[in-house]
Amino acid sequence: MSSGIFLVIVVAAAYFAAHVAFEWIGRRWLVVSGAEYLLLGILLGPQVSGVLSPDTVQDLAPISTLALGWMGTVVGARFYVPSLVRIPRGAFRVALAESCITFLVVTLLEVVAIMWLFDAPLVQALLPALALGGIATASSSAGVQLGTRGLDEQDAGVMYLSAAVLVNAVIAVVIFGLLASIWHPSVVVNGRPLTATEWMAITIGIGALGGILFQLFLGDESDPDRLFVALAGGIILVSGAASHVGVSPLLSTLVFGAMLVNISHVSDALVAALDRVQRPLYVVLLLFAGAAWQPSTSAWALPVALFLAARIGAKVGGARLAARMNGAMPILGRQWGWALVGQGGLALAIALNYVYQDGGTLPYFVFTAAITSVLVTDLLSARFVRGVLGAVLDQQVPGTTEPDVKVTEKLESVPSSPKLGW
Amino acid sequence: MRRLLILGLLLVGMQLLVPIGVERHGSVLLAFGFLVLAAYTSGEMFASMRMPKIVGYLVAGMLFGPSIMGVVDSSAVSRLEPVASLAIALIAFLAGAELRWSEVRERGRAIMMILGTELTMTFVLVAGAMIAASRYIPFFENESFKAVVGFSILFASIAVVHSPAVTMALLTETRARGPVARTTLGVVLVSDVVVIVLFSAALAVARVLAPPQEGVSTVGLSEIVWEIGGSVLVGAAIGLGVAALLLVMKRELGLFAIVMTFLAAELARLSHVDVLLALLVAGFVTENVSGGRGEKLRHAMERSAAPVLVVFFALAGAGLALRTLSGVWWLVIPVVLIRALGIWAGCRIGVRWAGIPPKAGDNIWMGLVAQAGVAIGLAAVVTEVYPERGAPLQALFLGVLAVNQLLGPILFRRALASSGEIPNGDGDIESEEAEDSIEEQPATATAG
Repeated sequence: MSSGIFLVIVVAAAYFAAHVAFEWIGRRWLVVSGAEYLLLGILLGPQVSGVLSPDTVQDLAPISTLALGWMGTVVGARFYVPSLVRIPRGAFRVALAESCITFLVVTLLEVVAIMWLFDAPLVQALLPALALGGIATASSSAGVQLGTRGLDEQDAGVMYLSAAVLVNAVIAVVIFGLLASIWHPSVVVNGRPLTATEWMAITIGIGALGGILFQLFLGDESDPDRLFVALAGGIILVSGAASHVGVSPLLSTLVFGAMLVNISHVSDALVAALDRVQRPLYVVLLLFAGAAWQPSTSAWALPVALFLAARIGAKVGGARLAARMNGAMPILGRQWGWALVGQGGLALAIALNYVYQDGGTLPYFVFTAAITSVLVTDLLSARFVRGVLGAVLDQQVPGTTEPDVKVTEKLESVPSSPKLGW
Repeated sequence: MRRLLILGLLLVGMQLLVPIGVERHGSVLLAFGFLVLAAYTSGEMFASMRMPKIVGYLVAGMLFGPSIMGVVDSSAVSRLEPVASLAIALIAFLAGAELRWSEVRERGRAIMMILGTELTMTFVLVAGAMIAASRYIPFFENESFKAVVGFSILFASIAVVHSPAVTMALLTETRARGPVARTTLGVVLVSDVVVIVLFSAALAVARVLAPPQEGVSTVGLSEIVWEIGGSVLVGAAIGLGVAALLLVMKRELGLFAIVMTFLAAELARLSHVDVLLALLVAGFVTENVSGGRGEKLRHAMERSAAPVLVVFFALAGAGLALRTLSGVWWLVIPVVLIRALGIWAGCRIGVRWAGIPPKAGDNIWMGLVAQAGVAIGLAAVVTEVYPERGAPLQALFLGVLAVNQLLGPILFRRALASSGEIPNGDGDIESEEAEDSIEEQPATATAG
């Protein structure tokens, strides 16, 4: 038996064993599955088995860019204005404050850490630190959705958490979009290089124009299969356009998704079409993220650990501060930041995008930090959410000093099948 | 019309972005996205004319591919090769899974009879016509008679190839079920094995009659035996493995199918067997060994078939090198007609020999006209063995293939519709003669 065949068999066995194991763990302990695909990607990739050579990984980059685009569209599609106006304004204020605090704290700490540990000048340390700050802002929506399943969507705590996850995602994507525009390789048009503002306008323009044209293209199409094929074509086109000019496909497709869902006559059917392959593309993203991973050439263990600690601290502390500043402590409780600690596909997507982006410094350090954070926190994200919500809901039951058995039972009875999200 | 206008606007927008482009894989994705939208639009236009969508996908691929407009250039087509490979692997697995053992037992004799007569007639007619008309064929001008016979045999052995991908795509698109659909699928799948043997034999004869230049690599008998036998063995092993895994895989079957197909194709490639054949066998074994679980997997794969077909056929259309036809284009239509005549005559004889009622049986030939995948691979082998002398032969063959790829789905759809095997949206049959035809189906099947 050739070594190639042996490796494929080993990888296949490892994947299926991991899948079965994670499925069992998921049922038993309420964890969000997906890490087995990241593991499979690492196993298949050039760093371990080499079944996927570096050239193949490079050739498959368009597929990962498509997965990035799909994720951006999914985030954008959550910007459905009629449903957003039902959420209290306070929820957005809290979420915005929490996102800004997390971003600032993590960025500052990482700037110092990178300058100190990598002996890098400020200019060189700023870009990876800002990217890590943006990545730190993102939270796992799958964890929140799984953790809140079975609860009333109109419950204040659930609404605040949903708003926080959405705002976290948008802030993270916008920060990365800005970075990609500011650190864009110079392109001369009409005798002068394009400015960062112009690149940002191009980023948003690709998404907005794509959204309008695509809406006209679709018309009243509502057949699921046809809608799906057309939508896939639209997302590939928009993410390809953004990637081609070197701006962030995540931000362009976020704008594209938001435009589509708000101006289309068939927004429900569009969301259903997006949902249809969200999970497979999330898995594709995990696979390619695993395959594209390379150990950072620099000493990365300490700054990665620092990133994890800083992020968890900033999320928990920042969330508490944001809730206190906005008078939302009675609704959310002191520990609600733990519900935002989980990180999922979006963090990986931004990190992968950072690797693909030209001119990024320490790309594999940033990527390793994101992968580590996802592996460590995503599995337990739903449990964190339940812990927070269980405590808050128990406190809210009037006239009782003991935890309400019904609330606890309600949370425990929630099914633990995997959830769509980022 | 509205969609064509927007495609035009998108094309203009793409041209505006080209000068400020900085990243290579972004341009591939940009072109690919446009191709998918164009193929989708073209497919819908063809469907509104009651023609198969896949013809629309192919036409869009050809139109926007490197040969005509060049929106998708040849480097983009080659960079999208892994996507097309995965798509064809999925289609092959699905095609194999369509065939049930009970059906093979029921229709096996009829399938073999039709296949035998159809292949023989097509091979003889195409080879005979090439030899007879050799003095008019430019690339045979400087060849001896023996060499002409050798190349004609080689050409005919590729001309007999059918297309499981087109057959499967049409059956998925039309949801046709009936004796014509099932018998055609059976013939096409079995022919995939037979044509490799036939081609190998033809190549051996051609090497004697028209010796290749020295230093050209040779293909030994053991390699041919392994390519076929190994494909069956590897495919069966994969099928058994998948069937075993289906015992524990309860959810996310669509995802499982994609990962499994990717790994299976990789395994087949590393084992140096024919990927298409191995995946066909794997699909067949999985479906027939795992009982109802295999059917669930097949349904999960069928649900994601629509985008896979768009991608595969649009890329197939873009991949057709139409420019190479310049010197031999006038030969294409005669060869297509002679091939079609061979298939028609062979099927008529086979159908009568097998005792299938002519009303259903006489439509089967239309399902065998399409060509794709394997044929391109075999044509490439010819140019490997005969780098200079084989090139015009390959160009002619690609021209024939392009026409058959467009003509085949149209004819097959017509065959299915006139046999009353295409249900409409309500699950009824499209043809007016539907009920009569359906009532005749069990008799047909039994006769087969």
